[in-house]
Amino acid sequence: MTGTPIDTQGTRMLVIATLLCSYPGIDATGQAHMEYPPNTYVIPTPDPVMFPESFYMHCFEKGVDGILIASCGTDSPYEGSYDQLAARIPKVYALMKARGISIRRLKLTAICSVCTKAFLKEVSDMEAVMAELGPVSGEMTAVPA
Amino acid sequence: MAERRSKPKGADKATPATPATRATPQQPVRGEKVGVYVCHCGGNISDVVDVDRVATEASQLEGVAVARHIMFMCSDEGQKAIVDDIEALGLDRVVVAACTPKLHEATFRRALQRGGMNPYLFLPANIREQASWAHPHSPKAATEKAIALVRAAVAKAEMLEPLDKVRVAAVHRSLVIGGGVAGLRAALDLARQGVGVTLIEKSPFLGGRSVQLHTVFPTEDPARPLVHRLIDEVKAERNVSILTNTEVVALTGYVGDFTITLRTTPRGVSRDLRKSAEAIAACPVKVANEFNDGIDERKAIYQPYPGSEPDLPAIDWATCTRCGDCLTAAGAGIDLNAEPVETRIEAGAIVVATGFDHYQPRPGEYGYAASPRVVTLPQVHRMLDPEGPTGGRLEIDGRVPRSVAFIHCVGSRQIEGVDEPGPAGKLHEYCSRVCCTATLQAANELRKKYPDTAVYDLYRDIRTYGRDQEPYYVDSSKKGVVFMRFANEDRPKVEVVEGANYPLKVTVTDTLTFGAEIEVPVDLVILSVGVQPRDISEFIDMTHAPVGADGFLLEVHPKLRPVESAIPGLLLAGTVQAPMDITESTSAASAAAAKVTALLASDHVEMEPFVAKVDPSRCDGCGLCLDACHYAGAIALQDVEIEEGVVEKRAYVNPVACKGCGACVPSCPVSALDVASWEIDQYKAMIDAITAQPLIAGAR
Repeated sequence: MTGTPIDTQGTRMLVIATLLCSYPGIDATGQAHMEYPPNTYVIPTPDPVMFPESFYMHCFEKGVDGILIASCGTDSPYEGSYDQLAARIPKVYALMKARGISIRRLKLTAICSVCTKAFLKEVSDMEAVMAELGPVSGEMTAVPA
Repeated sequence: MAERRSKPKGADKATPATPATRATPQQPVRGEKVGVYVCHCGGNISDVVDVDRVATEASQLEGVAVARHIMFMCSDEGQKAIVDDIEALGLDRVVVAACTPKLHEATFRRALQRGGMNPYLFLPANIREQASWAHPHSPKAATEKAIALVRAAVAKAEMLEPLDKVRVAAVHRSLVIGGGVAGLRAALDLARQGVGVTLIEKSPFLGGRSVQLHTVFPTEDPARPLVHRLIDEVKAERNVSILTNTEVVALTGYVGDFTITLRTTPRGVSRDLRKSAEAIAACPVKVANEFNDGIDERKAIYQPYPGSEPDLPAIDWATCTRCGDCLTAAGAGIDLNAEPVETRIEAGAIVVATGFDHYQPRPGEYGYAASPRVVTLPQVHRMLDPEGPTGGRLEIDGRVPRSVAFIHCVGSRQIEGVDEPGPAGKLHEYCSRVCCTATLQAANELRKKYPDTAVYDLYRDIRTYGRDQEPYYVDSSKKGVVFMRFANEDRPKVEVVEGANYPLKVTVTDTLTFGAEIEVPVDLVILSVGVQPRDISEFIDMTHAPVGADGFLLEVHPKLRPVESAIPGLLLAGTVQAPMDITESTSAASAAAAKVTALLASDHVEMEPFVAKVDPSRCDGCGLCLDACHYAGAIALQDVEIEEGVVEKRAYVNPVACKGCGACVPSCPVSALDVASWEIDQYKAMIDAITAQPLIAGAR
């Protein structure tokens, strides 16, 4: 992605990054001056397993157009957490569908502490999804009664 | 700081023993005077991000008392600015927008402490790695993003609560599991630094796998004297107790205060045994000798080599028939009726040095088990040992082979669709790292010892990666070892050829000669088998120590915390963590020992307070959080007086046992759980702040 024109398409991406894996990996991307779109906001967490389904919906409702969960994958230092996280994602998808939100706007992936290229690819892929779908506000339906 | 010792001595340490408390709503004090400091980082940030504008925007946020931009926030000047503002303006929260928190989070927390503030009321905003350095050609967008990140940090900071480190009284003693070189090295370092050690070894003898080697690379030192020197040094330490034939059968507690139940299987032999050779000779049982990797057999009463540690035979109870022939021959010093003994010890920290296993080739893999002339490199190591089963001679059917082929990467770097998964259903996708040099060491030794023996080296890739290891590759070329390289998808074929001059034929498509198919007639094929994780599943079940996808125990972070397990107080030493050579194993062991020493340096252990917390005013005692938590005793239900005379169950978090992952948080149907400093409402406030910032649309 380095050196390519950046067109952020008027969208926002949230990256949920684990303190021990993806957050250092994203730092390493910056340290290498490997560029990615500035509409990408990273929030650190010990483990994304902590987020309930409602948190993701809160993000979409507030105008986050794509969410990348950059987990540790099966290398999570926390016992069983990745399986629990992975099991939660279909439940989030169900809520997203109920609100008319494309499930492509949420992706669970694993980024390690040196996975700079993998991070750039995931960001690029999500940027493409957001560019194709446009702002989430355009497809979100009202909260069902 | 609050001292939390959640159990009476002798009680189950995983059970919180906090007395019942009255449920009162938590009412965090919201920050009202936030100090915001924006760092130039020389020009690393300010060359891209308009730091003056970021500070100006921050100063206009509600709750912000002061916002400054300073050349280097990590400098004395920068830290002094924080301290001065705390004192002059009465700041109650601090946000520093600078580099990654991995670098200076602790620096700024200490600055808050010097100003008299709780250090956990600090929050970083990463505007260097994640703004100026990531978007150097988009200064306007980088500035907008930095503003959003600062807004988010302020929003969260206002909701932070003061925290105290979790403090646990520490036992100034350690447990080292494994009596190989890593465990011995760790035990010696710990003892010399004043930490008491209980060193346990599951087998009856110390030394691990290293004593099976003849010499070690790259120094070519004889292996056994090297290991025995280490053993002697450990034995000389007064505060080390060594237990062989011993394993962990139960483990409770937490960093600083583990209680471990050990089971010691009787040796069956005492120092009164004077006629070892007679006793061993009299034993009618014969089983494969694991010390010699199955080349020969041993008895049920056995000693792997003369001078082993301890220098006494031991009885293998799994195969002993208790016929008594050994006792009859020896006369005394053998007890066939001894029972296992269980003991309980306490330790503040545990070093895991349980080692590795060699990959066992599948029958038929490169002709293994189809011919006795297909052997493994560890078997060849035993043959080359002058004190080994063949007296140091590499021989097959009593003859030195005329032609030998090594094959690399057997059981390493396996790939789906080509290799078959092992018994655990897993492929060994990793490189075992040590095999290349070990193979070349053996190849060189063969060429030196048997100049008339042709040596072929068939490899996929080859790398002698450590200091002073490259000469093995150079020497092998000079000594006439013939290299051939095969592609992973076109591996060598080993065939038994009946009646031919050479009993085996290896066919390889050699990419070094542009794909020529070469047939190599050999007397012996040596498989350079990889390193695989040893099965320590029972210990893993006890401790919940994380395991990597490769099956080895996982460190918290390969670079930042390379010998620490995510389980506080559990340190990793050597090949329990990954394939390593002896140099690396002992280095890791010393690192683990140093970590334990630092951990147990005082009479208590301090841990970060980022653990789960319960709002008892919301909790209804449903217990769903207990199911979500994977850590024994981290969360439990306890009686709480919710009003005068009314006691109900409420969730309680044991801050020592909790790992702070937050798995319990989404399980709560009434949102009564959070992780301190990583609370869901704080995250929502960050999202609200980020999305309140105008969209960055094509900004440059």
